[in-house]
Amino acid sequence: MRATVGDRIVIEGHHVGEAFRDCEILEVRGPGGEPPYVVRWGDSGHEALFYPGPDAHIQHFEHQVD
Amino acid sequence: MRVSDLIRRSAVAVRAEQTVVDAASIMDRAGVGALVVVEGDRPVGIVTDRDLMRRALARALPPDARVDGVMSAPLITVDAADDAHDVFAVLRRHPIRRLPVTSAGRLVGMVTVDDLLVHMAADLSDLVRPVTAELLFAQHDAAVPVTT
Repeated sequence: MRATVGDRIVIEGHHVGEAFRDCEILEVRGPGGEPPYVVRWGDSGHEALFYPGPDAHIQHFEHQVD
Repeated sequence: MRVSDLIRRSAVAVRAEQTVVDAASIMDRAGVGALVVVEGDRPVGIVTDRDLMRRALARALPPDARVDGVMSAPLITVDAADDAHDVFAVLRRHPIRRLPVTSAGRLVGMVTVDDLLVHMAADLSDLVRPVTAELLFAQHDAAVPVTT
């Protein structure tokens, strides 16, 4: 799994009816875009280290260079 | 089968200096019941929702109490390259339900008893299905013709 800062991680629900969860990547700690990632969860502002498993996938965004 | 094949969910970690309120909020947002506590890249402990209840809330710790003050340590882990049976051996020896998986000392995922049970039940169901069908709808071979 590879990602860049600003990408979104989506985690599928583990139970029937459980909504997906998502977070934004603030920092990539692994080499070449690999995990772990420092992420921010929604609007709470709380940061955590995230180690993606099979329940998670990356949504890449186009990053504009100014 | 390797331990890495048993990983079904992502692992979430907090830094040792983060607060118990940070931990509770992250558990809520991430939908997990346990967070690995790290110092740098090194996992040093684990804090569960039950730890927060018993060691922080029940003891009226301040909201800015550090999470490493309520974590369980030393951390029990299993290596991603180990045989999957090692997970069951570890879970037999220790009263835990969540087992962080590491590779070269770095966290790579989490195995939980709940996930193991769900997937073992699914595997058993797959095995039982043809046996049940055989019992309910037995396929008998036609009698061998008698030749004279």
